[in-house]
Amino acid sequence: MDGTAAGPAQRLVTIVENRPIARDTYVLRLDDPLTASAIRPGQFLMIRPGGENDPLLGRPLALYNVVRDPGGTAVGFEVVYLVIGRGTRALSARRAGERLSIWGPLGNGFGPPPAGGAVVFVAGGIGQTPFLALGGWWLGRESCGGVSYAGAAAHSATLLYGVRTSELAAGIEDFERAGIAVEVATDDGSLGRRGYVTDLLRRRLEGGARPGKVVGCGPPPMLSALARMAREYDLDCDVSLENHMACGYGACFSCVAPIVQQGGGTDLRRVCVEGPVFGAAAVDWSA
Amino acid sequence: MSSGSSAIVAGARSEVIASGSIGKVVRRGTLSRGRLQLDEGRLIRHDEDRRDLEPAAVDDPEACLIDLRVKLGRLELRNPVLAASGTCGYIRELAAFVQLDRLGGVIPKTVTMRPRAGNATPRTVETPAGLLNAIGLDNDGLEHFLEHHLPYLRTVGTAVVVNIAGETIDEFVAMAELVGAAPGADAVELNISCPNVSHGLDLGIDVRSVAEVVTRVRRACPLPLIAKLTPNVTDLVVIARAAADAGADAVSLVNTFRGIAVDWRRCKPILANDFGGLSGPAIKPLALRAVWEVARALPALPVIGIGGIANIDDVLEFLVAGASAIQVGTANFYDPGVCERLVAELPAKLEEIGATSVAEVVGTLRSNR
Ligand SMILES: Cc1cc2nc3c(=O)[nH]c(=O)nc-3n(C[C@H](O)[C@H](O)[C@H](O)COP(=O)(O)OP(=O)(O)OC[C@H]3O[C@@H](n4cnc5c(N)ncnc54)[C@H](O)[C@@H]3O)c2cc1C
Ligand SMILES: Cc1cc2nc3c(=O)[nH]c(=O)nc-3n(C[C@H](O)[C@H](O)[C@H](O)COP(=O)(O)O)c2cc1C
Ligand code: FES
Repeated sequence: MDGTAAGPAQRLVTIVENRPIARDTYVLRLDDPLTASAIRPGQFLMIRPGGENDPLLGRPLALYNVVRDPGGTAVGFEVVYLVIGRGTRALSARRAGERLSIWGPLGNGFGPPPAGGAVVFVAGGIGQTPFLALGGWWLGRESCGGVSYAGAAAHSATLLYGVRTSELAAGIEDFERAGIAVEVATDDGSLGRRGYVTDLLRRRLEGGARPGKVVGCGPPPMLSALARMAREYDLDCDVSLENHMACGYGACFSCVAPIVQQGGGTDLRRVCVEGPVFGAAAVDWSA
Repeated sequence: MSSGSSAIVAGARSEVIASGSIGKVVRRGTLSRGRLQLDEGRLIRHDEDRRDLEPAAVDDPEACLIDLRVKLGRLELRNPVLAASGTCGYIRELAAFVQLDRLGGVIPKTVTMRPRAGNATPRTVETPAGLLNAIGLDNDGLEHFLEHHLPYLRTVGTAVVVNIAGETIDEFVAMAELVGAAPGADAVELNISCPNVSHGLDLGIDVRSVAEVVTRVRRACPLPLIAKLTPNVTDLVVIARAAADAGADAVSLVNTFRGIAVDWRRCKPILANDFGGLSGPAIKPLALRAVWEVARALPALPVIGIGGIANIDDVLEFLVAGASAIQVGTANFYDPGVCERLVAELPAKLEEIGATSVAEVVGTLRSNR
């Protein structure tokens, strides 16, 4: 059923393109004007890889990019995914013209940018995907889900991008085209600096940089290190969590994370409903 | 998606009104060019809204009515499709994808007397055509449920079956009493497949405990009572008979099958809880067997079939095997609109086999032997 523009809906949508852009990494473009005009950066979709019963569940994938026609109307969207298991492998075998069952937009998405400030995105591996659309939105270049920050945009955006090796670096040109500066760290030094992506952030902070906002997405150890650094330097920092999900819309209680509650203490909360974006300080990293 | 009513003929029988606390349903339909068109049944709560009930006009003599209503002891539902406990959150979540008042009923996630944090993660793992889960009855407790969820559930326009789990039989009884006293629930489903109950036994695998909990809850709570049974027993018929004899209006068959998933590299089970319950299409043949066995042995006991139901053929298979109604579980996770679609598809399927009601196909499975 096609719901109103705002709420999530389940749809059968047509694949426009499903193309490799880096090692084991694909961009999937779907023809879906309704989702495309409703979705905001940081929100995600559940996409069933296909086949009747196996793999069974949908896979959560973040909005990468809203596709617009020459007149600027949102006509579709893209996700970028890394093949890691059965679901993403099955997805990579799907071809243009085939249809996929999806539901979304899901999750809370990101809030507003720091007006006039610098934003730094910190991505570990495939965790870069939410930041392309977010950069365009926060820089005031794109309106998403009917919301534009053109009058209160961030003044610059930088992606600090950590991958294991150069072959896995995906979409750098897309970010640069969107006006987002990119700095890369690799484990093996094959691209950019050798080391962790959090080292890139630390160098900047030690050099005196004070971004108006830092946002992280990637493996939990990286996010936990980022959250520590944010506390140390008193940074406004959000993270987008990638917990295991079965339904993506709050029905199953699979995806819970320990979230610090207002009255103190932590509670296991559903990342697909209350997240995936949380303040770094709201997540109990010790759990 | 409003239910348009123009050009649809209502048969006289559509005026039949369900009794009890679940509201009243009018279902109208006609045959046109061999395809049944249906105007959705309307729910009329008690005597409110009576003005909305349009008079039945029989201007088509060939009007054909498919009667989707089912009766489970004292519980009457407008159709046999319910959303299963634990697979549709507190129902709000499902409302984004399903017009709830089309469903036969909804069953929110199990509620316990006190809040429970549930298990650590991972809580679920996908298995071949199935899902293994150990959520651990994560919920905010009965008081919170009655205050925050039940008022919403009163507005959803379909039967609300409140699923409860006690740690002891006394707790089951106390909870059922509170649910029965609060307006909004149309029935109670006892989740008697949870561990840590009195006698140190799984309550649902012990005939005497099952008999005792059903007997005492019936005395304490006026609502129709459904016992949801675990299939992890040697003889399900014995347990179902105990529930029936003790006064259960119906039994729900089945809850999940115990299993584990192994990460052989780490030499560890994948679930944080080690053990989980298997659900999804993988268990459908096991659930069908359970339904058939119990329905054959206890023909007077209404059975609600659960296990791997994901499409309309699955629904018919369960009905034929002896289920008077069905619940959709795991399929809600990977096909959020499924429940509403099943209701929409059911009349045409019944028509295909010349049936005019759900009731007449229930339990029509015949042995080859
Ligand atoms: C909100 C959100 C946004 C995401 N966005 C992206 C994205 O843009 N691009 C991308 O490549 N990946 C993204 N992921 C991770 C992606 O969902 C998993 O890599 C993917 O589900 C793996 O599926 P699989 O069948 O290939 O792997 P398997 O390991 O075979 O999957 C088994 C099960 O575990 C789940 N699972 C496994 N790994 C993850 C993981 N890291 N996160 C969540 N669930 C997992 C699967 O969904 C599936 O149910 C996102 C995750 C979340 C929660
Ligand atoms: C993630 C998950 C959580 C569940 N939680 C509950 C629950 O809280 N109470 C309950 O009675 N059954 C619960 N069940 C069992 C289902 O209601 C249903 O009986 C079972 O999953 C089999 O049906 P299915 O194969 O259609 O999923 C849960 C099942 C799943 C998959
Ligand atoms: S993934 Fe099901 S509740 Fe979050």
